[in-house]
Amino acid sequence: MDFRLDIIIDYLPYFGKGALLTIGLSIAGILLGTILGLFIGIGKMIRNKWIALPFMFYVTFFRGTPLLVQIFLVHFGVVPLFLGGTNGIVAGVIALTLNASAYIAEIFRAGIQSLDRGQMEAARSLGMTHAQAMRYVIIPQAFKRMIPPLGNEFVILIKDSSLLSVVATPELMHWGRMMTGQYARVWEPYLTAAFIYLILTLTLTILLNYLEKRLKTE
Amino acid sequence: MIKVDNIKKSFGKNEVLKGISVDIQPKEVVVVIGPSGSGKSTFLRCINLLETIDEGHVFIEGVDITDKKTNINSIRTDVGMVFQQFNLFPHKTVMENIMLSPLIVKKVSNEKAYNKGMELLKKVGLAEKADAYPDSLSGGQKQRVAIARALAMEPRIMLFDEPTSALDPEMVGEVLEVMKQLAREGMTMVVVTHEMGFAREVGDRVLFMDGGYIVEENRPKELFENPQHDRTKAFLSKVL
Repeated sequence: MDFRLDIIIDYLPYFGKGALLTIGLSIAGILLGTILGLFIGIGKMIRNKWIALPFMFYVTFFRGTPLLVQIFLVHFGVVPLFLGGTNGIVAGVIALTLNASAYIAEIFRAGIQSLDRGQMEAARSLGMTHAQAMRYVIIPQAFKRMIPPLGNEFVILIKDSSLLSVVATPELMHWGRMMTGQYARVWEPYLTAAFIYLILTLTLTILLNYLEKRLKTE
Repeated sequence: MIKVDNIKKSFGKNEVLKGISVDIQPKEVVVVIGPSGSGKSTFLRCINLLETIDEGHVFIEGVDITDKKTNINSIRTDVGMVFQQFNLFPHKTVMENIMLSPLIVKKVSNEKAYNKGMELLKKVGLAEKADAYPDSLSGGQKQRVAIARALAMEPRIMLFDEPTSALDPEMVGEVLEVMKQLAREGMTMVVVTHEMGFAREVGDRVLFMDGGYIVEENRPKELFENPQHDRTKAFLSKVL
């Protein structure tokens, strides 16, 4: 088997473009997914069952159906409904955000509920409102516990963004598939894509480990 | 100062308070004793509404705290509480633990909160631990910080929920000493405890609870030396 480095080098600008879009989609998904996830996690914890119900449906749906199906629904259904046509990047951001937020909502809820309830009681006994206790006592502690599972979710999100290649969003995996088509070769495009994904996820892992260590020493 | 009027409380089908009434005067130190499961901690937690009350009323300085219109947060600034498990905030230093509530609830200045914190830490003998994190403290030190934290809100009433039960025996004394000093200064206190020595020495009145009722109450000397009820006698014979 010969391995042709020259075609990889020829294709490198496309991989570069694709990697940038993958990074962009991932960052957008992480940021928007975290914000939406916090909101949904809080909604799910509301004691009134009727208010909490839609949030529970949301989490159940997005965790219980394949991301690929969600991508098709968003790409061919939701986005044309609002934009009048398809748009792979918009669909990618929306699908990744919706999917990640369901998992992040659960991570957030677990982080808060893992805290001893004495923390809330102590804060309330000092005269704090529920909101003050959440803000100054509960969420800062829950946040620390959320970092490892959140990091995990972010890594999954980077990898899952590759599914967007099936709706021709020009991200990293898309260019791998294009290269396969152009040169009728398998190893070079897919190994290159795999290698770049690995760099992205490893970088993120290192960053998160650093963050975790820093928060521990305080 | 505190008037508890026939309160009842159930957890599911289990009725833990079956009608408790008691009047507590300013500067009085009331010690609540009784077997585990007698409802004494629940009773204490009803006084600052950490537990909801099913029936009956609690008045703090004339204000009915069971009334939905009462702002319970402002009542709680007047009623400090110390927990068995300390419940210090582990992500904050000792001083930050103490300053947090004065800063955000009472909105006092940083300087004022710090000075008050230092004064209280000196009082409980832990001024040198101001910048330490709770995890680095012993149980007795944690509980003394928790007392200082509650005092920082300048409460007029202090509730103690088995404050020495989670401590190693050699650390019980240092916590009780702080509590005795508070009592001498005239703090109104309600103390749930198994420390009979403390009850006898510091208490103005002892309530013996069993099965969701106050079975007997009296001055400590009388209650310990001349209990009237069989259940009180049976309990005291086991713990004394």
